[in-house]
Amino acid sequence: MFKKFWRDVNKYFNYAYVSAKSELKSEVANSHLSWLWWILDPLLFMLVYTFISSIVFRQKIQYFPIFVFIGLSCWQFFEKTVKQSVKIVSQNNHIVAKVYLPKYILIFVKIMSNGFKMLVSFSLVIIMMLIYRVQLSFNILYIIPLLLTLLVITFAFSTIMLHFGVYVEDLANVVNVLLRLVFYMSGIFYSIKGKLPEPYITILLKCNPVALMIDDMRECMLYCNPPHRKVLLLWFAVGILISILGVSVIYKNENSYVKVS
Amino acid sequence: MMSSEYAIEVDNLKIQYRCLNKVSIRKSLFQLKKSKVEIFEAVKGISFKVKKGQILGIVGKNGSGKSTLLRALAGIFSPDEGTIDIHDHTISLLSIGVGFQKKLTGRENIYLSGLLLGFSEEFINSKMAEIIKFSELGDFIDRPVRTYSSGMYSKLSFSITAILETDIMLIDEVLSVGDAKFKKKSYKKMKQLIQKDDRTVIIVSHSSETLKSLCDSILWLHDGKIKMQGSVEEVLPAYEKFME
Repeated sequence: MFKKFWRDVNKYFNYAYVSAKSELKSEVANSHLSWLWWILDPLLFMLVYTFISSIVFRQKIQYFPIFVFIGLSCWQFFEKTVKQSVKIVSQNNHIVAKVYLPKYILIFVKIMSNGFKMLVSFSLVIIMMLIYRVQLSFNILYIIPLLLTLLVITFAFSTIMLHFGVYVEDLANVVNVLLRLVFYMSGIFYSIKGKLPEPYITILLKCNPVALMIDDMRECMLYCNPPHRKVLLLWFAVGILISILGVSVIYKNENSYVKVS
Repeated sequence: MMSSEYAIEVDNLKIQYRCLNKVSIRKSLFQLKKSKVEIFEAVKGISFKVKKGQILGIVGKNGSGKSTLLRALAGIFSPDEGTIDIHDHTISLLSIGVGFQKKLTGRENIYLSGLLLGFSEEFINSKMAEIIKFSELGDFIDRPVRTYSSGMYSKLSFSITAILETDIMLIDEVLSVGDAKFKKKSYKKMKQLIQKDDRTVIIVSHSSETLKSLCDSILWLHDGKIKMQGSVEEVLPAYEKFME
């Protein structure tokens, strides 16, 4: 299976790349403010959450707008990709019914287009860090393994969603509610460590990979601390395992996806 | 090598549509008894071989399993039983309304279709001008496909498959695309494509005229089984008689 996966990824990577590029391009062509939305969208949400947290709930966190921005960027990448994966096969029915392609390649397309948007908002984060004169340390290099882990985890959950999304009609509804729950449990506009009592801190940070990654991302970008390396490595391994499982399930069943109606 | 003589070998192929109903969490919560699984067999044990360079026509009434068979050959359906061997040839399925992404432009869709058929970017680039010219789309090629008329849509899809040539071509009822002029042109192009010596072609059509002028042999499917197989002169009259 690994050999087949490797061969297929090589063969179809270019397709995924071109497809993601055209998708982004058409998104730009169809809206009035075009690419500005990629910046405005996270920026406006940041303002909303900053307003709620610092004025309504009176939170005091250093660099709070950047704090929210990092959380939002990671979250939106994860949420959009997983959500879109649920209906990805039926949405691409026109391709799936005409030509063979490994179905997880469709997830690649989404990862690339959402990943690009995440990079755009991360470059905003960097600009804001310059404006706020955030002190940096070498720990900032940890964002590379952190982003990689986020990628693997997102792909892993998306493969599972893709498979069950074909067979279960109302999975999208359930996933929406679940994602909302995870959103509030990921500490995007509050600090899990500062707001919650134990044992919830440990539970949330260890069992919710998104919360863990967002928290670590902030620690190494804003507060010069290293991430939770052991738990992170563990989640990376879990992500790889689920991905392997997901890809093999897709390989086994993908040719009957078309028959489901 | 013996195997190189045949382009396609199909052995005892069976394709079933099974438990195709989607499950809904809501329904399964409130309905304790399982809905029964319905099995519908579209292709019921077919074996045939197609020689390299052969042009095979497939006839049969609606619902006899023709399109299912073509899709299985193209690798879109997996066989439930039996085997399909295409000996690593490249294969493309040409059918009405080939899948385009409606939001994207015609040019981008040419790229994507080409990449999906397994061609390299350079090759697609080198063929791009030819495809655009053949499709007669002109300036529309840089507009989103959703703005196309249905005729333009099928012209584009025909042009892509006709110019990005694969070893094996599966053609599903597309020889009546576009206006009279384009129809003539595509028919001519099709004939030219088909008559290349090493190209293997399978055509599904209801038009006896087309089949008579293009094919070497005919396969007659009836209710998922082969009813008759042989030369054009042999099978077509029998089929026509049966259909009357």
